[in-house]
Amino acid sequence: MKKWGIFLFSIVMVLVLAACTANEEAGEEQENKDDSTQEEASAEKVLHMNNGTEPTSLDPSIGFNAASWNLLNNVMEGLTRLGEDDQPQPAIAEDWEVSEDGLEYTFNIREDANWSNGDPVTAGDFVYAWTYMLDPATASPAAFLGYFIEGAEEFNSGTGDASSLGLEAVDEKTFKVTLAGPTGFFLNVITNPSFFPINEAVATENPNWFAEADSFVSNGPFMIESWDHDSEIVMTKNEEYWDAETVQLDKVHWAMVNDVNTEYQMYQSGDLDVSEIPADLADQLIDGEDVHIWDQAGLYFFRFNVNMEPFQNQKIRQAFAKAVNQQEIVEFVTKNREEPAYGFVAPGFEDPNGNDFRETNGNLVEFNADEAKALLEEGMAEEGYSDLPTVTLSYSTSDSHRIIAETLQQMYSQNLGIDVELSNVESNVFLDEQRALKFQFSRSSFLHDYADPINALESFITDSSMNRTGWSNEQYDQLIADAKNEADEAARFELMYTAERLLLEEMPIFPLHFYNQVYLHNESVTGIVRHPVGYMDLKWADKTN
Amino acid sequence: MAKYIIKRFFMMVITVLVIATLTFFLMHAIPGSPFNEERGTNEAVQANLEAFYGLDEPLYVQYGMYLKRIATFDFGPSIKNPTQSVNDLLSRGFPISFELGMITIIVALVSGIILGVVAALRHNGIIDYVAMTVAVLGISIPNFVLATLIIQKFAVDWQLLPAATWSSPAHMVLPTLALATGPMAIIARLTRSSMLEVLTQDYIKMAKAKGLSPLKIVFKHALRNALMPVVTILGTLLAGILTGTFVIEKIFAIPGMGKYFVESINNRDYPVIMGTTVFYSTILVFMLFLVDIAYSLLDPRIKLAAKGGE
Repeated sequence: MKKWGIFLFSIVMVLVLAACTANEEAGEEQENKDDSTQEEASAEKVLHMNNGTEPTSLDPSIGFNAASWNLLNNVMEGLTRLGEDDQPQPAIAEDWEVSEDGLEYTFNIREDANWSNGDPVTAGDFVYAWTYMLDPATASPAAFLGYFIEGAEEFNSGTGDASSLGLEAVDEKTFKVTLAGPTGFFLNVITNPSFFPINEAVATENPNWFAEADSFVSNGPFMIESWDHDSEIVMTKNEEYWDAETVQLDKVHWAMVNDVNTEYQMYQSGDLDVSEIPADLADQLIDGEDVHIWDQAGLYFFRFNVNMEPFQNQKIRQAFAKAVNQQEIVEFVTKNREEPAYGFVAPGFEDPNGNDFRETNGNLVEFNADEAKALLEEGMAEEGYSDLPTVTLSYSTSDSHRIIAETLQQMYSQNLGIDVELSNVESNVFLDEQRALKFQFSRSSFLHDYADPINALESFITDSSMNRTGWSNEQYDQLIADAKNEADEAARFELMYTAERLLLEEMPIFPLHFYNQVYLHNESVTGIVRHPVGYMDLKWADKTN
Repeated sequence: MAKYIIKRFFMMVITVLVIATLTFFLMHAIPGSPFNEERGTNEAVQANLEAFYGLDEPLYVQYGMYLKRIATFDFGPSIKNPTQSVNDLLSRGFPISFELGMITIIVALVSGIILGVVAALRHNGIIDYVAMTVAVLGISIPNFVLATLIIQKFAVDWQLLPAATWSSPAHMVLPTLALATGPMAIIARLTRSSMLEVLTQDYIKMAKAKGLSPLKIVFKHALRNALMPVVTILGTLLAGILTGTFVIEKIFAIPGMGKYFVESINNRDYPVIMGTTVFYSTILVFMLFLVDIAYSLLDPRIKLAAKGGE
């Protein structure tokens, strides 16, 4: 009894001591904080965002990921920019002409498009930037996106040279691009930051112009005021931007907090205006009024290895796909309001008739326990199995993947009467082994690099680095090749519809759910746009005080 | 003494070299690549990247380049953040980790020793129980749990302190608290047990018999000897804390160098792995060297030259 008393007393002591020591300094800070927020409130609209980490690079050719795009897309601008409707709109290019065969694009650059140092944005800046991106010596991870341009693949692979690239500065404000093949979504591809212009004069003088705030030249809605590496980037409105009057925010502070719990705690304490939701709190927070959800073009899916037993058999693959209840997983496991995926191509891509790709091609794989059981029995009979060979589901080490894998394990046990084994592997090793086809059955994900269904579907042509299933189908390869060379959009979509149906009939993969982007917004924040492919945009964002 | 120091210096260089070599071959033995991504990669793009970082060379050539880089202490660009060199990352991150580490060590040492001494003097009394309960809690609560808890209380609920980032003295309070609790507890327990042992020694009885004041006995005679075990662990503790702690820096968004130890391995960012390893091992062997010097100051019976193996 006495010992318990001492124990309780000591805990109280710890708390009291801790509270005392912290309080003294705390008061001062509180005052400072009030001062600064008051100052900001009276004069400027300042948005507080979190980028998670230091951007990989603000060299538009090198920073090929969301952490770089969040910033790049707001401080720079290409010929086109995704509008609030996610469609490419005139940006640095005022308008353009496309030749009848769809191979030549002539862009007219705005007279009032200037760099933040006052230089005009010229056609030469685009020729310089795109050539730099495609130069093998630059080692740009984005270079493959430029392969739509004539001569680009040869140049980047070291077999061609820069002079044969289909890029031409006709005059200071006219930029002509010749493509290798008709590419209906070219205007969309070039919204990617890797196609942004680079101020040739600045870059020639200082090849590291993008590394610090002082030397960075912008041509987008914002410019970089300060950059405290690994801590904070501050952007301010760029008055030289051609559409500066649309931009409402005066400043954007980007913190680099790489922990979702901390991010959310900073959001609660008012240090951030926007936050993600910690996975553990999804249950409680997802229905809140401050939750905003956008689609993201990409999905969580599983790959079968068609060279390993028992997945050489199509019916067994179909059985494993149909035994998974996608709806239940998004509702009770991930709990993040994702769309269950019944096809491989994400919603949000319209064919020329204005129909959504996903809706038009319908549900190609749906949960059906009875059908799955029947398919499994047929498949086992075809292969002469009395017992199914052991199946191991592999995933890269992470809590969220583990929970999903365990749910699948349970669904297979319940719906097919099969005990599936689970195995987790460190993520970098996992990717190596998946590429080397060492897994029987493994998790995967896909995010679009550009906004067209072909980007998703071309993953499964024979020997694509994204295939990783051993699956090879001549008809499928032909459909994708035809779609890539088809200038008529309606015919092109028809080819892609057929390809997707074939893919999910053969089922070397099966989809689980499409991704989305879920954020909490302080109620004073409006107009943040997040596109399904790639990047977010603060051009139209506002903050009421 | 001088001879010993020179000898130790050469041993230190060899130790670092062995660690560096082992790390080099281990990091290349792990499967995976710095350019592995979930997205499909284009072969030409991949080849350009490997050529850019010299990863297309045979391993022995890479090892040669690597030794040259260690000798010049220039580790080249990070693969994950290609616009920054590893030297940039270390020279920016280390001062911050060092600052947090120094404050933490001072807080942990002062409070740990005080707690330990007081507990030993009031052996089996209430103060002893309280102090040791604090110590047990400090050892058994992982610092990331404590960190999240104190952010929630001090920053979110009571709005007394900033939750995270690193820009003013107030920003240092919570991370220091989270980081210092563990070492403080360890130091307190060590101090207490060795104080208890020392206090029963004859020379303490002698000092008491001579009529010295209790304060003088404790600080001049007992503590000095009781601190030996504390000094022993201090070297490793210092090296660990000064070079940054991954979890605490991540939770509090402190731009120190702790994260590079873990993230560089996950990313297979070879230049950063070798940079952090060489840097950390240099600091570690240097700290251990300082500890040996400190021994001789605390206990004149320990002769460094003899220890050096003459």
